[in-house]
Amino acid sequence: MTQLTAMTQRKRLSNTQSRRQSGSLVVQEEDDDTTFTQPSTSQVQRGLEKLTPAQVDQKTAEVVQYFLVKDQKKIPVRRADLVKHVVKEYRNIYPEIIKRAARTFDQVFGLKLVEIDPKSHMYILINKLEAAEGASPINSPTNPKMGLLFVILSVIFMKGGVVRENLIWNTLKKLRVDPGEKHEEFGDVKKVVTDEFVRQRYLEYARIPHTEPIEHEFRWGQRAELEVSKAKILEFMGQLHEQDPQTWSQQYREAHSVPNSSQPSTSSQR
Amino acid sequence: MKRARGGGDEEAPRQNGSAGRRKGDQQQSDGDDGAGAFGPADLQDDDNDPGLRREIRSKYRDLINSVQQNREDMLSPSNNKLTEVLEEANKLFKDVRQAREAALDAQLLVVATDLGKEKASQLFAEGTAFDPTAYAEHLLSFMGLNRLEDGEDDQQNGGAVDGYLPQDAWHRVARRAECCFRTSPSFHYMMGSFHAEPPPPKQRIERQRKAPSKEAKRMMPTQLKKMESSHQEATEKEVERILGYLKSYYQDDPTSPISYFEFVIDPSSFSRTVENIFHMSFLIRDGLARMYLDNDKLPCIAPVEEGEVEAGGSCSRKQCIVAISPKIWKELIEAFDIRDTMIHPPSTQNE
Repeated sequence: MTQLTAMTQRKRLSNTQSRRQSGSLVVQEEDDDTTFTQPSTSQVQRGLEKLTPAQVDQKTAEVVQYFLVKDQKKIPVRRADLVKHVVKEYRNIYPEIIKRAARTFDQVFGLKLVEIDPKSHMYILINKLEAAEGASPINSPTNPKMGLLFVILSVIFMKGGVVRENLIWNTLKKLRVDPGEKHEEFGDVKKVVTDEFVRQRYLEYARIPHTEPIEHEFRWGQRAELEVSKAKILEFMGQLHEQDPQTWSQQYREAHSVPNSSQPSTSSQR
Repeated sequence: MKRARGGGDEEAPRQNGSAGRRKGDQQQSDGDDGAGAFGPADLQDDDNDPGLRREIRSKYRDLINSVQQNREDMLSPSNNKLTEVLEEANKLFKDVRQAREAALDAQLLVVATDLGKEKASQLFAEGTAFDPTAYAEHLLSFMGLNRLEDGEDDQQNGGAVDGYLPQDAWHRVARRAECCFRTSPSFHYMMGSFHAEPPPPKQRIERQRKAPSKEAKRMMPTQLKKMESSHQEATEKEVERILGYLKSYYQDDPTSPISYFEFVIDPSSFSRTVENIFHMSFLIRDGLARMYLDNDKLPCIAPVEEGEVEAGGSCSRKQCIVAISPKIWKELIEAFDIRDTMIHPPSTQNE
């Protein structure tokens, strides 16, 4: 189906478009993101005029589907991949398509499409809706890895935003998760934490400069900043410790100062 | 600044005027350890003695290692280890002469400062400090840890309570944590499983939980705690036994020399001969026996008298390697006409 539309599209393009345009198309097909330049508003306008609304809707739907499927693994979607695999020859109207996809996510799915890294152009989806209190009516299977991730994120947050990896490993060991051993639920724990969570942008794992032997530290990744509510973590902390969350005054202030907004600004400070 | 609590006075010397204090130290406590036991006259050799240099560097590395390994423990407010480490480093520093050692001293200082910084940050943190150990304990309870001992608030001991976690321990945490995440929902089947290719990640994890694969824990090399002592002791005993033989033969007739070959060779067993040579070498090495050549240039041995031991230590030591093959062994037996062994094997000793 996609293939078919693409083919008819190409035919149409070759028929109607000027020589200059088809020439640039060949360059773009080298699928490198650097060759993809954001088309200007007027270019988009011209591109749209040459397409029927149904064609644009169709492409938007394909992009939406691509995002939904890609989101299952929570690995951010790179713009380069999106253009290469889905948008293809519609790249001249790329801004319009992404705008429409974002609107669909917003209005139909209750999700928010966020560009987390303006430099490398990566997108993630986050839930716009607050999780309902109590058990959700839909009995979705829980992912134990989220428990693991939660523990790590909460320790980082409670320790002021950055911790040495040793603290994380020691805490996990106390919870019977040894990074050196294969865990029956998580498998290679070290890989899950330093690779999977990092690629999903839940965590940042960076080398501490000037340490011998090499040591690393953990911070919250961009996805965590957007997705995870510090206030709710603190609430859970209070519950566990049987303590008022406000007694951790620093953390409390941080959790409540900036509403967990979806500004990608945090990403630029890396 | 480095450690604002519990022993601020130890910090002072390292921060300012460390050179002055260290110089003082050197005069006071010379001979505190082996490295310091050199008089000023030896100082020149002392500087260039590679063994001593190595020892200092090794001690520095050990110290740095111990700080890095025990970092989490040392961070605890009640722990005084940092002070001890700094004192130890001060002691080491008085023997530092070369740039490499000084570099190690600086490296240790970096490590110690970093630790001190973190300790200080704990102090100045407003509100309740967060204790990851206590947190882990609470989480274990939340996960439904079935405690074998009643160690409810056993936080100081690193939460090393025994007990086992239920199967769904991490699912409990995940379910509770769900409300903290605004994650987009992932696909799942509404009515049970339906095998698709490739399986969606959620599905796979769920199946794994129901039938945990019997994946063996990663093999880790077991650490050798203690050397098997019996073998070592057996050698020691045997060496002493042989010394006993040597002494008794010598006392029987102190004037006639004991031929080395006659002493060690067991004409009935080549392997016993080799063992005797091996054990004999310990006696020579430890200066309990000496070897010399008699008038015929044949090796002889004699026990070293108690009083002689020190004198022997001063004279130059020589090393040699004794090689023997069954062929040489047979030739020696014939040449010396050895009929019987002078060192009886341990089992026949009682006879």
